[in-house]
Amino acid sequence: MILQFQKGDIVRHLGLLDLQRTMQRALRRSGLPIAYSKGFSPHIVMSFASALSSGIPGDAELLDVGLTDETTEEACLTAMNRVLPPSLAVSRVRLVDDRYPKLDAALQQAQYPLPLRGGGTKAVAGAIDGFLAQQEIMALRKTKKSETMVNIRPMIHELTAAYDETQDCAVLTARVSFVEAATLKPELLMESLCAFAGAQPERCEIRRTALLGLVDGKPVPLIDL
Amino acid sequence: MLKEKIDGLLDRVQKPARYMGGEMNCVLKDPDSVAIRYAFAFPDVYEVGMSHLGSRILYDIINKREDALCERVFMPWVDMADLMRAEDVPLFSLETRTPVGDFDMLGITLQYEMSYTNILEILDLARIPMHSEDRTWDHPIVIAGGPCAFNPEPLHHFIDAFSIGDGEISTLETIDVVKACKAEGVSRQECLRRLSKLRGVYVPSLYEATYHEDGTLASFEPTEEGVPRTVVKNMVADLDKAEYPESIIVPFMEIVHDRINIEVLRGCTRGCRFCQAGMIYRPVRERSVEHLLDLAQKLVDETGYEEITLSSLSTGDYTCLPQLAHELMEKFAEKRIALSLPSLRLDSQLKETLEETQKVRKTSLTYAMEAGTQRLRDVINKGITEEDLISSVTDAFAGGWSSVKLYFMFGLPTETTEDLDGIADLAGKVVRQYFATPKHLRAKGLRVNCSASCFVPKPFTPFQWEPQDTIEQFTEKQKHLCQIMRIKGVEFNWHEPHVSFLEACFARGDRKMADVLEAAWRLGCRFDGWSDQFSFEKWMQAFEQCGVDPAFYANRRREKDELLPWAFIDAGVTQAYLWRERERAMQAQVTPDCRKGCQGCGLKRFEGACEGR
Repeated sequence: MILQFQKGDIVRHLGLLDLQRTMQRALRRSGLPIAYSKGFSPHIVMSFASALSSGIPGDAELLDVGLTDETTEEACLTAMNRVLPPSLAVSRVRLVDDRYPKLDAALQQAQYPLPLRGGGTKAVAGAIDGFLAQQEIMALRKTKKSETMVNIRPMIHELTAAYDETQDCAVLTARVSFVEAATLKPELLMESLCAFAGAQPERCEIRRTALLGLVDGKPVPLIDL
Repeated sequence: MLKEKIDGLLDRVQKPARYMGGEMNCVLKDPDSVAIRYAFAFPDVYEVGMSHLGSRILYDIINKREDALCERVFMPWVDMADLMRAEDVPLFSLETRTPVGDFDMLGITLQYEMSYTNILEILDLARIPMHSEDRTWDHPIVIAGGPCAFNPEPLHHFIDAFSIGDGEISTLETIDVVKACKAEGVSRQECLRRLSKLRGVYVPSLYEATYHEDGTLASFEPTEEGVPRTVVKNMVADLDKAEYPESIIVPFMEIVHDRINIEVLRGCTRGCRFCQAGMIYRPVRERSVEHLLDLAQKLVDETGYEEITLSSLSTGDYTCLPQLAHELMEKFAEKRIALSLPSLRLDSQLKETLEETQKVRKTSLTYAMEAGTQRLRDVINKGITEEDLISSVTDAFAGGWSSVKLYFMFGLPTETTEDLDGIADLAGKVVRQYFATPKHLRAKGLRVNCSASCFVPKPFTPFQWEPQDTIEQFTEKQKHLCQIMRIKGVEFNWHEPHVSFLEACFARGDRKMADVLEAAWRLGCRFDGWSDQFSFEKWMQAFEQCGVDPAFYANRRREKDELLPWAFIDAGVTQAYLWRERERAMQAQVTPDCRKGCQGCGLKRFEGACEGR
């Protein structure tokens, strides 16, 4: 079964290991027919679509869990929400068979709303068209091992802004690549965009709202492949 | 506003999960729906405090009341504490992030003397006046309990009331009193007076201590009519009738004891003469197998934990242990739940069960030998022999175990070099036993982990009159041990004597130690139990500032007729029994387990104690 759950604001600091442990214990409490690995120290067969960094909340995170017996999506949803704290509530369950693509392998893109406010917000929101019209956007990508200049333009699939004049704030929506060789962090995108616009509005907290795969080149939520 | 501010701090500290709250099974109540809001503080970090069984029991008991709520408070680690001060954030509860100062009652559990500076830090961060006499009804009633409450004097100035003995009933009684006092609108002082009349409750501000010129206690008396001269500890006679949580909080982050903990019995009858817990938690009371199985089932269902520990001072002494272990194994095999069992007293039936356990998970075997020779083990009345150890490890090695832990103490009364050499001798014999095990039976990778800690004499033990070794003596012995413990296959660890020295000062301290404590905290001491935070220099400075000699508390032999600071407490065991045991110790005479015949320790005076024995 695939669980779509939120990683709420109050639990945004949970790291992957904490989240793994919490989900395992919740699954054990749920009474659902959970599959265990074989071997000397059996563990629950489960995998996250993607580890969300500590400090970032998510609205539609995904967890794939092996089951050993027939059940229904409704039963799973009810059972899981009974055993999870509200901050990790499950919003959808989809029962899939073994032929369903592995979530981490099918993952191509992720979507983030990026709120901005204060001076410079309008400039940044207004600069998006020009920013995207560039052939090449070079940015310094840092990994644990290295720092390299890469062209991030091909990794941006959608970038729009909803600007609120009365409040002088905006929510940008970014859909970016999320595959092993070409993952664009939303922070880096914002840095590039702000530098391009020549403005530094106050950046508010980032959250992840969707994990997407591609079907015929079009983005589709991973749970709906 | 405060909630958002706290949220902002979490982005800037190590391990924010310590302060997050909102875990599965935590209890959220509407503060307006209750009469008493109780903050329960454990004076150490979250992962230590959440592992404490007593706190979980009381959290559950208070929250079961309709008219009260209980929220958890832990000591913020130094990074968070400093940030809270800098950002003007008061200490808050995890459940609702309410300032601790806004609660009606603040309960603090005293598990370890070296957490005392953290208690002052908690009061300060909570903006509660440090001294009891400076508090008003605007502040919570500050109550402390736990094993260290059996000598409450070093904390007398900071705590409004101590609850001594089992907390299950006493906690509810103190809530009743505070609730009634608030409803009636009586003074805070009157509330403390009423609390002092409850069994097991000690209100230090209602007593006065005077001292002889040599610093020993001259008198200790109540200052008011009607305040009891002797405080009698609380005792729950029937554990099956006592409340036990059927649901416990499942933390997000990994805690020290991250598993289901089921208390199978309370108290211990072995009578080890160094062991305070073995004396103050008397008599032995067991839960029934049926009750324990039922609790285990409910807790497994409620938590999803993958491991169960049977806990007590001496689980091997649980009468029906083989039956309980076997039934638990059978019941939860399908759910792949591991069961941790005590290592010793491996009779044949239990051995089978242990072998079953190991199918699920490998654990290492632990033996608390405590002393290196039979003579010294007789002195401390530790009823385990070399034969017990060797026969047990022989079976274990043949059964595929290869990891063994051995615990010792040094600095015990009457100890000689021969006793220290005995430690190396025992460790060596364990190693030889491993190599004597046929190769096809034994598992690879022998690990004998041997650790030695410094003996700390504690109140309400037969050694309460004894001097502790000086730091110099400990260091000397430690050097010797390090030399003789260079044995292949053995890893030797020892404890720093400086912390044990301070622990000894507080364990048998009087009211003057309260001043030292406060001075040390003002010098910046906190988290003294954490070696990276501990500063012996600051502590010595604090003693000097107060004109108090630590050796008076740690290294002095008390006379039989000295008035001890904790003598006003009736802990069940009588001072006469303790002295008798001390005399037997000096002659290396063992005293059998009282299940094999009453030793007259004093508990029979308590209603419902020692029933059926």
